[in-house]
Amino acid sequence: MTEHIVYIDLGVGGMTCDDCVVHVAEALESVPGVESASVDLASRSAVVTARPDVPSDALASAVRTTGQYNAFERRRRAASGE
Amino acid sequence: MSDEFDLLILGSGSTAFAAAIRAAGLGARVAMVERRTLGGTCANRGCLPSKNLIEAARIVHEAAHPRYAGLTPAEVGVDFGALVAQKDDVVREYRAKKYASVADGLTDLELLGGDATFVDSHTVQVGDRQVFGDRILIATGSRPTIPAIPGLDAISYLTSDLLDADEVGRLTELPASLAVLGGGYVAVELAQMFARLGSRVTMVARSELLSGYEPELGRILTDVFQAEGIEVLTGARVNQVRGDARGVELAIEQGGAGRDVQAARLLVTTGRTPNTDTLGLERAGFGVDDAGFVTVDAQLRTSQSHVWGAGDVIGRQHGSQMATPVGARQGRIVADNAFTDAGRRFDGSVIPRAIFTDPPIAVVGLSEAEVKSRHLPAVTATTPLAYVPRAGAVHRTTGLVKMIASTIDQRVLGVHVIGEAAPEIIHEAAMAMRFKANLADFVDLIHVYPTMSEALKIGAQAFSRDVSKLSCCAE
Repeated sequence: MTEHIVYIDLGVGGMTCDDCVVHVAEALESVPGVESASVDLASRSAVVTARPDVPSDALASAVRTTGQYNAFERRRRAASGE
Repeated sequence: MSDEFDLLILGSGSTAFAAAIRAAGLGARVAMVERRTLGGTCANRGCLPSKNLIEAARIVHEAAHPRYAGLTPAEVGVDFGALVAQKDDVVREYRAKKYASVADGLTDLELLGGDATFVDSHTVQVGDRQVFGDRILIATGSRPTIPAIPGLDAISYLTSDLLDADEVGRLTELPASLAVLGGGYVAVELAQMFARLGSRVTMVARSELLSGYEPELGRILTDVFQAEGIEVLTGARVNQVRGDARGVELAIEQGGAGRDVQAARLLVTTGRTPNTDTLGLERAGFGVDDAGFVTVDAQLRTSQSHVWGAGDVIGRQHGSQMATPVGARQGRIVADNAFTDAGRRFDGSVIPRAIFTDPPIAVVGLSEAEVKSRHLPAVTATTPLAYVPRAGAVHRTTGLVKMIASTIDQRVLGVHVIGEAAPEIIHEAAMAMRFKANLADFVDLIHVYPTMSEALKIGAQAFSRDVSKLSCCAE
């Protein structure tokens, strides 16, 4: 049983304003196992801090079910110091 | 990091742009690699420039051959260099508006100039850069096929690249005479265009003209071409080509007899070859077929799950056709499949297609031969355009509409038209077939009178009555 935390980099499409950033972050943080989500409008990306067993499909699906945004996983990185 | 992309697209034609636009909208960082001119075949050396010049040639021809008694033939002078220059302006403006400025407007799209070769399945060498693509789309299109004819590699010849505005293969002087090798859609469009602009044209085709289409279409076109003074040699094999600065000579064999065809220039239009041979695909780990087309599944994915193929490079797989709007549709599907869980499949069952000769040709759906090979019980009706009121009213009766319908439920399976406005009216048939229309649907729709679109209504009526005895408005 590991308590490791990973960073998951996502590409995010469809965001046009700061409200979008909030909506996408809320969608990502609603996924079980996600601790926090940092969403950036300019680079159209997000970094999710989560347990390693969070499936990438669950993150993408949570964002897509908003009906307005798209997300896909780019890569996972070990959180530094872990 | 700047050389890592979510989607790396090889090619910059309609397929590539559709994929790039969609993928960017889905949040992806996209790069496009182009070794020639931005915009691909259609914009630079295909559909767009050919349609420009074909229309000019029509104006020249119609002035010299008015269809109405009471109109005096007039000669329209042709300054071929000036005509080509305006075509080049049209191409450059279109390329700037529809491609370059669109690319500029996309966030996170990078254009890379140069030849692309795979280093491994995720990495492509472009010049001195190594570019990583998490997902990759092969959309490198196709180029004119050069047949293996003895002597051809030793002479100077033209291909459809003659239409290009900027490349060395472009043509700026009208040849006094032209031998056109081939009988497909590019061959017939360019042969008639050059003939109407003033070249003496001889077509040399291995089989009949437009042999892949309903045979009636090529037969009518052959008659029209011969009446316009184009020599059409079908069933002809070229054994040898010779040439120098003064012209070319083709030694051909036709019906067991040999003869020579002489012309100032030779135009080779014998099909299209996928641009996959220089990509180093053996290092990418996915397959091509014997002709070099990228093998894909119905979701347009290769055997490498992160690599897709779309547009001309997939040839005729899954009902696809080499055509700009088909590639554009596929590019969007690839972007959806690459960055969402859409799992979209390409459906090639209803793709309208046109050949811009005069009279023009347009087809959608199955041919009679395809219906037979699929063992579909079907019936066919062929209606001359002479029965269409508008055709008679404006003296444009050359042509026919051939419709193929299921005998089970009268659903229309194929529509083939040669005649005035065919490329426009085919969309009624395509839309109808998209919604699985039957013959009665074509008849029930009130058509504007008198239009060429009535050909579809009358063509559908021909399955059940003698359309030579229809009243006005064909009720």
